[in-house]
Amino acid sequence: MLKRLRDPWPDHRAELTLGAVSLLVGGVVVAMVAFVGVHAWPTFSHNGLSWLGSGGTLETQIANMQATGVKAPASAYHLRAWPLVYGTLLSTVAAVVLALGIAVLSSIFIVELAPARLRRIAVPVIRLLASVPSVIYGLIGVLVLVPFVGNDLITASQKASVQNVVELTGAGLIVTVAILTVMITPIMVALICEALVSVPNSWREGAIALGVNPVRAILAVTLRAARPAIVAATVLATARALGEAIMISMVSGSRSFTPKPIDGLLFLFEPLRTLASAIVDYHEGVGAPALGSTLYAWALVLLFSAFALSLAGYLIKLPLRRYQVRG
Amino acid sequence: MNATAQAPAHADPGRPLKVGPGRRSSPLSWRWRDRVALACAWAAGLGLCLIATAIVVYMGYRGVQYLRPSLLGSRPALGTSQADSGGFLDPLIGTALLTLIGIVLAVPLAVGSALWIAEYGRPGWLARVVESSIEIVAGTPDIVIALFGLAVFQLSLLAPLSFTASGGGVFGKSFIAAGATMSLIALPPLFTATRDGLQAVPAHMREAAFALGKTRIATIRRVLLPSVRPNIATGVTLGISRIIGDTAIVVLLLGETLRLDPQGSVPGLGLLRGTGSTLTSYVYGNSPAGEGAAPQKAYAAAFVLMVLVLALNLIVDRIGRSQAEATGLTVAGAIA
Amino acid sequence: MTRIRRLSAVLVAAGVLGVAAPAGASALSTITISGATASYPLVSLLAQKYVKVHPHQVKFKIAQGGAQIGVNDVAAGRVTIGDVSRDPLEADPHGLVFYPVAKYAICVVTNKANTLATLTSSQLISIFTGKTRSWSAVPGASASGTIDLISRTSVAGVLTNFQTLLLEGKKVSSIAAEEPSEGLLRQQVENDPNSIGFLSNYQSDKGGVNAVGLGGVACNKASAVSGQYPGVARFYEVTKGKATGAASGFIAWILHSRAARKIINTQWIPVT
Repeated sequence: MLKRLRDPWPDHRAELTLGAVSLLVGGVVVAMVAFVGVHAWPTFSHNGLSWLGSGGTLETQIANMQATGVKAPASAYHLRAWPLVYGTLLSTVAAVVLALGIAVLSSIFIVELAPARLRRIAVPVIRLLASVPSVIYGLIGVLVLVPFVGNDLITASQKASVQNVVELTGAGLIVTVAILTVMITPIMVALICEALVSVPNSWREGAIALGVNPVRAILAVTLRAARPAIVAATVLATARALGEAIMISMVSGSRSFTPKPIDGLLFLFEPLRTLASAIVDYHEGVGAPALGSTLYAWALVLLFSAFALSLAGYLIKLPLRRYQVRG
Repeated sequence: MNATAQAPAHADPGRPLKVGPGRRSSPLSWRWRDRVALACAWAAGLGLCLIATAIVVYMGYRGVQYLRPSLLGSRPALGTSQADSGGFLDPLIGTALLTLIGIVLAVPLAVGSALWIAEYGRPGWLARVVESSIEIVAGTPDIVIALFGLAVFQLSLLAPLSFTASGGGVFGKSFIAAGATMSLIALPPLFTATRDGLQAVPAHMREAAFALGKTRIATIRRVLLPSVRPNIATGVTLGISRIIGDTAIVVLLLGETLRLDPQGSVPGLGLLRGTGSTLTSYVYGNSPAGEGAAPQKAYAAAFVLMVLVLALNLIVDRIGRSQAEATGLTVAGAIA
Repeated sequence: MTRIRRLSAVLVAAGVLGVAAPAGASALSTITISGATASYPLVSLLAQKYVKVHPHQVKFKIAQGGAQIGVNDVAAGRVTIGDVSRDPLEADPHGLVFYPVAKYAICVVTNKANTLATLTSSQLISIFTGKTRSWSAVPGASASGTIDLISRTSVAGVLTNFQTLLLEGKKVSSIAAEEPSEGLLRQQVENDPNSIGFLSNYQSDKGGVNAVGLGGVACNKASAVSGQYPGVARFYEVTKGKATGAASGFIAWILHSRAARKIINTQWIPVT
């Protein structure tokens, strides 16, 4: 039998083996949905979809789940996790919008405007930003930015004005969004640069020949041609921002509070919590049935968001195919 | 931006555009919207570079301040406070071990799937399903993958891979569990790099091999795989840098004991079944988010982590540059 | 070639057997413990000493997470022993046996810069339930501005005991920040001049914070031993059913041996 394995394989056996390997890899997604879904089912069966809505304090509900421990009555599964959904949406959308602007401008800078020497430095430096682990971002955030915001930016009177509702410690929305933006911008820059570079030069020259100044030519022609790549970059960046858990758990203040824009400047300093960071915060309690099912329910929401983002990216890029620029 | 009198450069699409002789277009004559756009682009680009430099310089400063060579060689202190004594030898070993397990598991899976997709790929719908599936795994948050891994390894079927507590509950947290889950993280970059490399191999190389009478699998073994070795190397390096930087999977699946804690009495297998920590979980644990309340140790370990990541980046750069000379690649390369 | 391959296969098999056989002979039992962060320093010291005194018999795996996590884990059979820093509750699962091993005092702490010496019980309740929100309303405090309440997450046994013993059963206000461990609570109090929290006496005796007295009685080991300080609670080791095997050996050693008593006496109060 060993000899049979050592001889050169016939093509069909090789094809079947490699195909089986690919099937295994392809089946991982199915397995993920299956396992996460099965473990999340109790939360859905007890709450329906209304657990995504609001009502009551999340920390109290979690405390209830932890207290009922091993034999959890139906009331233990009660969950209203809207603050988490809101926190996730708020931080993700804010970070992606900011990152989109900065990434597009930086890409234009790198590809079109920077002199060669500066470009040779800028490219590896920005790629470095993409590979810094999130725990290091979190460390700098919690040891440098949070104390700075807490001690130097938030005044005592601001703290006193909300003292009956929430404590402002510096860990909150603005630090979260700032670091999240810095984390996802390099990913977008890489993709957009690639696309900008592959736009044919003649398109730009044509615009210039018509009397348009160079920056306008870039904005009107090159950038439009790179739209599929911008869409792909946005989708990738949103997926990254959505799933960021460790960094956010370190700098967000970890309270299920919903920062409201009508609070004015204080809106930026209020703490929040996202689905992913809440999973990290409570992961030790995954053994308790009610809390475990809740954590898996949150993970299921994140999983489906990843699906939806992939699908959305694909659908948005379809009508943009006519430019035939690689995206 | 001033246009100078030079011939347009065809082979370099990224060059700032040069207009014909005599035309000068000074930004002062443009509409204010375009001037603002120019200023913003410069600000964004320089700002991003400055932030990156600031992060590296700050981590370097703190690292030099707090890192002592003895820390690399001594084990973490038992008991509660890491601030007084102890180093991070065990987390270093943990990082290395986890990376090894992750890559060893990921390479056959990724290269095998990439080969199948690039060389065979029948039926077509299955190939598309596999490709989309890997794309989805690439886009899944690592915390969800960690929870999935926990669910899988807490099955009683897989109890020998970690350890079973006295009451019958499967612990589910061990180096094997974390390593296998990490391989899911390293799989997409490896797959993409290998597949792109295979697709870039010119058709005439395959045709020449077939003309000489070689079967497809022999062509793969003798012709294609050797020629995509740089791509696989890039993929492996990207995979390693993703594994080294991941914290969520380690926190959930490695048991978070500061020291390596083998399980059972068989030497090698015990280590794999046991728990431990890595540089990332050590940094997380010693920061104000964890237990150790030792920010100096956190900075020191974070500095070591940054140096590792920088080194891996340089390697990817080097491989990418040698490939770019051969194939004319782009500015950005592959970012995980 | 084939002969070399066969020979190497035999050698590898022999090597594996040779390694596994003596290893299998020594049966090391593992005691897994999880639970309170307040008793973790004590239990790790006890475990280290136990391993020194009885070498090659047991291995310990100690995790934390909070007293409630300990109770849940031991009831589900995930760990052998649970560390619990509060008294048994009605809601606890049946069949658990609580072995008291040591006593500790719960001290109210403020930042070192805040020289608050003592609080009355009603002042304490008013502060922690969120009625008093500003330091100016607290006589004797040198801090000013908003009171930053630092509390523990709901799984903490110290929190349960604090509410029962010192807050007359009232709950800490939901405005309070919730820290998942004693170490983190102490760190918060050390860094925030306007903060107030509560710790076991092991943590507050370490010196980085200002321990506030209750009704004129200072909070430290001496006043806890003498019985003057009201906020004294127990650490328990909890097993599912009566402790058996290695676990019962360990618990018996903690309860009866002189070495264990010496360790307990360093920072905590013995039960008897």
